[in-house]
Amino acid sequence: MNYSDLLVQGLVEGCIYALIAVGLTLVYGLLRILHIAHAGIFTLGAYIGLLLTNETGSFAAAFVITVVVVGFFGMAFYRLFYEPLLDKPPHVALIASIGLFIAMEEIYRMVFGATSLSFLAPPLKDTVTVAGVRLEEGRVVVVVLAVVLIGGLAVLAGRTRIGIAWRATVSDAAMAESFGIDLARVRYVNFFVASAMAAAAGIMVALLLNQVIPTMGGVPAYKALAIIVLGGLGNVRGTLIAALALGVIESFGTIYLDRVLDRDAIAFAFLIAVLMIRPQGLFIRR
Amino acid sequence: MLRLDRLTCGYGPFHAVTELSLEVPAGNVLALIGANGAGKSSTLMAIAGHVAVMGGRIIFNDTDITTEPVRTRVRLGITLAPEGRRLFPDLTVAENLTVGGYSQPRTAEARNIERVVTLFPRLGDRLGQLAGSMSGGEQQMLAIGRALMAEPRLLLIDEVSLGLMPAVIDVCYAALGQLRDEGLAILLVEQSTQRAFDIADSVCVLESGRAVWRGTSAAARKDPALVEAYLGLTG
Repeated sequence: MNYSDLLVQGLVEGCIYALIAVGLTLVYGLLRILHIAHAGIFTLGAYIGLLLTNETGSFAAAFVITVVVVGFFGMAFYRLFYEPLLDKPPHVALIASIGLFIAMEEIYRMVFGATSLSFLAPPLKDTVTVAGVRLEEGRVVVVVLAVVLIGGLAVLAGRTRIGIAWRATVSDAAMAESFGIDLARVRYVNFFVASAMAAAAGIMVALLLNQVIPTMGGVPAYKALAIIVLGGLGNVRGTLIAALALGVIESFGTIYLDRVLDRDAIAFAFLIAVLMIRPQGLFIRR
Repeated sequence: MLRLDRLTCGYGPFHAVTELSLEVPAGNVLALIGANGAGKSSTLMAIAGHVAVMGGRIIFNDTDITTEPVRTRVRLGITLAPEGRRLFPDLTVAENLTVGGYSQPRTAEARNIERVVTLFPRLGDRLGQLAGSMSGGEQQMLAIGRALMAEPRLLLIDEVSLGLMPAVIDVCYAALGQLRDEGLAILLVEQSTQRAFDIADSVCVLESGRAVWRGTSAAARKDPALVEAYLGLTG
């Protein structure tokens, strides 16, 4: 495998990390909650997407329905579990989130079984050549999705009234409210967007691996945490860059570090190395 | 316009303001003065809905708004330019103004930005600049402009002159004078007593959360005790 192959593979992985981690940092930025259960929502997206694809035969339809349904699930999740804890110290919500993530994994095990589920007819498995690099169609779709969803998020945040209201709320919720911004509405939109992006990542990981298991959120959970710390907690742009950087470093690491570090350990080695140099993360959030 | 009827407010068990009564008619400026910790800012924050009311009533245009949420108050026409300005530093000047006008229809935004820029032409050149990167004076202009985007009938403004150069203070007070002449009611908290007396129609002096003196600005200037306590030290 040459350098361009490694780079492209790394960027694809980075796009998946970005889809998961951007949602996590959105929640942190608005509510100062480390939403560990975000990884459980990622797994839910994988299950629903796979089951709907197998049921309907249409991956595209399954994808759209899953993203919307899981987005609404995220809103309900916030209403049921986090909203009652908003006036409690942040560690209360953190502990609740860890508990919810464990509970979600066990619920998936009970409902869908402990063994893996697979696509009956895995879609997007043909290969295409992009800039001289051969890629599965599914990997190309991951990149397109990341660009469209994160680009769409940037447009929403920068060009629309609700997006500007959201950024104002992140900056100073009390002042934003004093100008008539409905904080509850902003928080619901936030959870919808974050959960929809996690669902999109979940389906695509399910597709690339052609399997869904109850514990598939475990590794993304800790990697996403590492990424949002590296990117500067709450900083979407920093998170995006950190996600892509981690994807590329892991990709090269599997070739050059494989005798000393497991691929999944590279995220934390990277995190430790960066935090020793820049404890505030790569990108400072004011 | 605004009437406080024996207002008591504070934080937890602590009463920052006790049984304060005052009135601000339309087109009038009332200055709240007093030492640090006298309860001036808490009064403004209680009227805006950010500090808990423990007793008394807040009447705005004959409507009791004591228990109304913050968002309702801004829709009724009360806006706050708080101490320290509390701009959204990562948003541009234009975006800060958009947030200020969030309670108004989208169609009113361009007209209100035009009004703010007419009042503070310097902001017109900086609409695309991040608010956090502006000078203190420009930030104060933006804080006032952002509050005006809500088309208020009552402006609550805290520490206009704090940390600003005299020329910038002049610009801000000229704008407030113009707004008062257009019929806006203004409740002003100001450490610079001379500035407060210059613009205010009436004055209320707070000590330890209680009103200890009320009257016109002209009467305040003639009161030897007030002159010695406030103008003598800060004027």
